[in-house]
Amino acid sequence: MMFKKYLKIWWIMSRNSFVMVMTQRVSFFTFLLGKIIRFSFFFIFLFFILQGAKTLAGYGANEIIFFFLTFNFIDIVSQFLFREVYRFQPMVVSGDFDFVMAKPISPLFRVLMGGADVVDLITIPPLLVALVYFGSLLHPSVIESVLYVALVLNGLLIATAFHIIILSLAIISTEIDHMVIIYRDITSLGRFPVDIYKQPLQAFLTYIIPIGVMVTVPAKIMMGVVGLWGVVSAFIVGIVSIFVALKFWNFALTKYTSASS
Amino acid sequence: MDKAIIVDRLVKNFEVVEKEPGLSGAIKSLISPKKKTVRALKSISFTIQPGELVGFIGPNGAGKTTTLKTLSGLLYPTSGFVEVLEYDPWSRNPSYLKQIALVMGQKNQLWWDLPAIETFELNRAIYEIPTRTYQDNLKELTDLLEINKFINTPVRKLSLGQRMRMELTAALLHKPKVLFLDEPTIGLDLVAQQKMRDFIYEYNNKYNATIILTSHNMDDLTDLARRVIVIDEGQLLFDGAFEELVSKFAKEKIIRATLGSDDNIKNLEKIGRVKKLDFPEVVIAVPREATAVAAAELLQNFPVEDLTIDEIPIEDVIRKVFKGEYKK
Amino acid sequence: MNKYLSIFKISFQEEFVYKLNFVMWRVRNIFQILLIFFLWSAVFTDSQTVIFGYDKAKILTYVFGIMIVRALVMSARTSDMASDIARGNLSNYLVKPFSYFKFWFSRDISSKALNLIFAAGEFAILYLILVPPFYFQTNPLTLLWFLVGIVLAIFIYFFILILVSSITFWLPELSWGGHFLITMVIVEALSGALFPINILPLTLQSIVMATPFPYLIYFPVQIYLGNISGQALLGGMIMAFAWAGILWLIANIVWQKGLRSYESIGR
Repeated sequence: MMFKKYLKIWWIMSRNSFVMVMTQRVSFFTFLLGKIIRFSFFFIFLFFILQGAKTLAGYGANEIIFFFLTFNFIDIVSQFLFREVYRFQPMVVSGDFDFVMAKPISPLFRVLMGGADVVDLITIPPLLVALVYFGSLLHPSVIESVLYVALVLNGLLIATAFHIIILSLAIISTEIDHMVIIYRDITSLGRFPVDIYKQPLQAFLTYIIPIGVMVTVPAKIMMGVVGLWGVVSAFIVGIVSIFVALKFWNFALTKYTSASS
Repeated sequence: MDKAIIVDRLVKNFEVVEKEPGLSGAIKSLISPKKKTVRALKSISFTIQPGELVGFIGPNGAGKTTTLKTLSGLLYPTSGFVEVLEYDPWSRNPSYLKQIALVMGQKNQLWWDLPAIETFELNRAIYEIPTRTYQDNLKELTDLLEINKFINTPVRKLSLGQRMRMELTAALLHKPKVLFLDEPTIGLDLVAQQKMRDFIYEYNNKYNATIILTSHNMDDLTDLARRVIVIDEGQLLFDGAFEELVSKFAKEKIIRATLGSDDNIKNLEKIGRVKKLDFPEVVIAVPREATAVAAAELLQNFPVEDLTIDEIPIEDVIRKVFKGEYKK
Repeated sequence: MNKYLSIFKISFQEEFVYKLNFVMWRVRNIFQILLIFFLWSAVFTDSQTVIFGYDKAKILTYVFGIMIVRALVMSARTSDMASDIARGNLSNYLVKPFSYFKFWFSRDISSKALNLIFAAGEFAILYLILVPPFYFQTNPLTLLWFLVGIVLAIFIYFFILILVSSITFWLPELSWGGHFLITMVIVEALSGALFPINILPLTLQSIVMATPFPYLIYFPVQIYLGNISGQALLGGMIMAFAWAGILWLIANIVWQKGLRSYESIGR
């Protein structure tokens, strides 16, 4: 019942943002085009590097491409779902967040998922096709494939936790702007397996901002190079991070001062 | 339930980081931020009966809005006890939030680029209003507020008055039992103000809704509030019947007149206390009960071209309350 | 001239007001450099490997060279022109007795000066942490050509930003989208900020080299590395110079047309 209500609200909000995007069609296609071109350029670049280098940190061409695609999938899906996070800062500053708080609906849900990005919706299906194709070249077992899906979902859970923390920071201090951009810059390091980074950066990406768990581990399972303990600890990191994020959000709400008195 | 709202020794403090100017100041505040506590509400208490319409007045920054926001569950109280409809607002229980509404005059919850009907549909889902009830309520509200023609117009194309009425519709679709109205008439022209007031009056009567209204506009209070609460600097200064406040502090009314000539201008003193004389404009304060007589006298004995009678600005009333002219 | 100096000073101070924005922009640069640095380190695990004519020292010098050249060429404020046009703020400037282009150019220079200071600091820190093999160019003549390349790059970038901002005259909703597509995606990829152009196959290379983009970063860095000399250097310089001239011409024409449509709308 609860789920149905939220699904319905999500649907209405997404439809609304779709209608708004459609009033600015030129802008919509420009962004779509920009995103596709950026993806293709990087892909071409990767292709030529791999032609020259053959392997990267011990991974073959198909494997590197699969890492890249997995990163893009998690990145795009979280952008699609959590686009509203980018608009939260002005919402707090203007005080419009007051209305969100005064409604019988989780404010977190509203500011996290209140406006799906149509541009990204269009890019998800082709990416899925590419993932399935390059994934099949790795010849995973059934169990590995199932674990991959589960670990990608776990990666999305970690991404969700980060978005919640970013939202909480925006409530605590209106000075902290652009956190979401920094987050994206850091996660973009996950385009490649974190193995290529040296210490202490690698430790940072493993323990502090667990991009390794978010992106690299799921892709590695398809190559059969993650042990049981690796899988278990990945899920633990996922659950702990969402738990911590929700705690932090509840704490941040008590610090909400609302714009002007 | 004998009390709709109970507020007991409510305190709300905000922590603000003080900023020093310049680059060195910015770095300093980054390393060891200087925190300052702003005491927005210093232990205020009051109760409100179901169906009461209470005016909440005070100067800017007095704590009116902070109180409303605490009552609607937006702000976490530092200490004290708050109960609305037997709920603790901060727990943000959905069944509580479904019974209240917050309307803020200067902000909007409507989706700016879309017709208002889209926001209504969204609220219907959020408040889980049954289809039949929704349709009835929507029709009733839009009829009463005379906005049925505009519900399919994008919000950004509406006038401020139309938009405010849309805001009100969006806020009332779920028929809240408690209504927090923060400056509902701000920025509206006189006709629109009157429409808004009539509606609030209707709603209060018809549904026996409990309403707290903050306003800078004396007319809002004159027309609507039987009881007023005055607060300033986070403290309660007055809580009682509106008539009492008026008879004690707004003993005078203000007559503004434009004169055709300055003949026997000195005799103006006989009408009332001359507050300002800047020919051809004059402003005279006269005792409330003698207003009509004074106006008539003025028209008779002076070459008046234009004349208006106003209430004393609310700030002046509060200033008087604050100065301690009211003694218990 | 004096007024543009004042604009330079004010802009410089303004960057400090929006210090968080500035810091964020620097942080972004660092992450981008880290990504490319480690990627190429991974490609050249063995320092003897030579791929696409680069060895490890040269490719990592290329990456570090990007840091400095980027700060000089791509630090610019002129992209804000677009929002000036979209919001109608442009009118405030048009009535003032100065050149709007020179106004923005002064602001760009101030932005470059500030970014260069920070980039140099980051360069030093990252250099100490990562200890890459770095190739120091010592030939004064090569360094001189490098500087000429940078100056041309600055002008090319400036005119590109004016052109992209001008789109806003006709499509106000694209004030940000235009810069996203061209400045952030196409320029970013084809300028050489991500990879040296000569890792591409020859045909692709010559196509890219015919556009103005590689003269922003790839070309100056190549001069620094001593990879281009003689006829190739001269040819590249002519291309860069020609592009700067052509873009200047187009930017002026488009701007004038844009102004006419701006005024006709009466914003």
